[in-house]
Formats: sequence, C-alpha cells, structure tokens
Amino acid sequence: MIKITIGTATLALACSLAIGANAQLVTIKQLSLPIAATIGTTAMETCKAQGYNVSVHVIGNMGEVLVALRGDNTGPHTMENSMRKALTSRGTRLPSGEFAENVSKTPNAGALRLGNMIPARGALPIKAGEETIGAVGVSGAPGGDKDEACAKAGVDKVADQLK
Amino acid sequence: MSKIHGLAGVSLATALACGLATSANAQLLQHKDLSSAIATTIALTAVDACKQAGYNVSVHVVGRNGEVLVGLRHHAAGVNTFENSWKKAYTSRTFRTPSGKFAENVGQNPVAGQLFLANITAARGALPIMIGEETIGAVGVSGAPGGDKDEVCAQAGIDKVKDQLR
Repeated sequence: MIKITIGTATLALACSLAIGANAQLVTIKQLSLPIAATIGTTAMETCKAQGYNVSVHVIGNMGEVLVALRGDNTGPHTMENSMRKALTSRGTRLPSGEFAENVSKTPNAGALRLGNMIPARGALPIKAGEETIGAVGVSGAPGGDKDEACAKAGVDKVADQLK
Repeated sequence: MSKIHGLAGVSLATALACGLATSANAQLLQHKDLSSAIATTIALTAVDACKQAGYNVSVHVVGRNGEVLVGLRHHAAGVNTFENSWKKAYTSRTFRTPSGKFAENVGQNPVAGQLFLANITAARGALPIMIGEETIGAVGVSGAPGGDKDEVCAQAGIDKVKDQLR
C-alpha cells in the first residue's frame, strides 16, 4: 500500500515536471515610462487646478517605482504616503480606500502587517482589461477622496492606451 | 593672573550674550527652490534626450536638501539605473559639482572619507542645478553606455529650463 502511494507520487511529480518543461513563457503587459509619466503629471495637475498640492507615485507590476513626483509646498510625508497607497492598491488590486474599508472591520488583518501597506484612500489600480499592471497613489489633498479623484484623472487620461 | 583670566571670561560671556541677541533678531532665510514643474521638465527632457541618442535611462532630480523631487524609471532601463541616477544626483548636490568631477577628485584616493558617506557614488552622469553660483539641486542620469553620455542628457535637461533658473 505504502509502496503504491509512493509510486503514484513519483509519477505525479514526473508528469508535472514534464509539463513545466514544456510551458510557455509568461507574457505580460507593462506600463511604459511615457504612459506612467502622463498618469503621474495629470494626477498632480488635476489636484493643483483644484487648489491642492500633492505628491504622486506611479508603480509598476512588481511594485517598482516608475514615477515619483514631489509637489510644491507639500508635507514631507506625502512622498512616502503616495508610494505606500500605490503599493497597497497594486498588492490588493483594489482602490486603497476600499482596502481601508475592508480592514476597518478587522483591525488585526494580516495584510496590515505587510511592509508598506497602508489603509488610506487615494490610490487606484491601473488595469489592462481585468489585469492589474500597476497603481497610482496621490497624497496631499485634504481628504483621501480628493486624492483619489486626481488619481482617477491620471488613469482616465491614458484609458485608450491601457489595453 | 587669575584676575586676567576672570576678565577674559567676562568678555567671552558678553560676546556670547551679544551674539545670541543678534541671533534673536536675525531674519528668516529666503531662498529659491526648484518647483515641481521645473524639476519634471528637467527630468523628462533628460529622458527624451537620451532616447533620441538611442539610450534608455532613468533620471532623478533632487532639491536643495537632497530630497527627491522627481524620479523616473525607464521601462527598458537596467534595474540598477533608478538607484544609480538618484545617488549620482545626491552626490552632485552634496558636493555642488558634477558627479564626474567628484569621481575624478576621489579617483586618486580610494579611501577618501566622502566615499564612506551614505548614498555617495563616484560616477559621472549628474550635474548640479544652479542659480548663478548657488546650487539648488541636481539632476542625475543612469543607463547610457558611459557616464559622459548620461551627463549630456542631464545637461539637456538643465538647458531646457535655463531661462527659469534665476
């Protein structure tokens, strides 16, 4: 009985390795710098037009920073905050405000213990179709809802290119 | 003899008190800083200039205190270029000199103390951003095949806004 089980496991392993060796490379869509820069500058200008000075981060698929913009006369924390909001949004594939709502009911949520996660509104995932390929985070407006509106303006600006 | 020392002490105390009084009346410092708009123009121009030359680069613009104003990672640039462009810019701002000049200066002295400071790098590709003689920031570029080529793109970025740097 034991012998048979081991034999089956070995066979299964061999099969999965065989499949692995024949697997194709993963093809993903990636934000280009021009698109990311347009998202970032549009978000900043949108907030500026409304009278808010903000800092903005655009991050890519692996959370890497593509664009970082420090706004005039912003608080020193806005750079970190916009980066962490963006990372939170990318990680959860959700608006960071939605993540904040979700975890407000579970203050011990494990997700809050991960590095750089922050339950604060103001970041949106950047999607190609259904697939999240990055995020944009904004910080500095008086309220996460206002930050988020500027983030949305940035994403909307390049909507045609996100496919 | 000790009396003389005592008098000297009084003089010192008086001088110190006067010095403090002067400080209390001192005005706040005023200076010009890079705006986000100017810093962004410098960075995007540097990226474009290198792109025109056939190089994909990452760029950082830092402000008066070495703080990051703009960071741009090119989608096809090497992984290290983002960090490297920042360190070059920080080095250039710190020593108020092209990072390549700094690299030359310490080149003969591998144990130069400056090289042991955090985030300092002896690599060409960053230029200070100046108003007249005053350094108010720096732009660093990384990704071209050679620091001299990085530096050309940094220069293009500064040139683009030179009318506003006054």
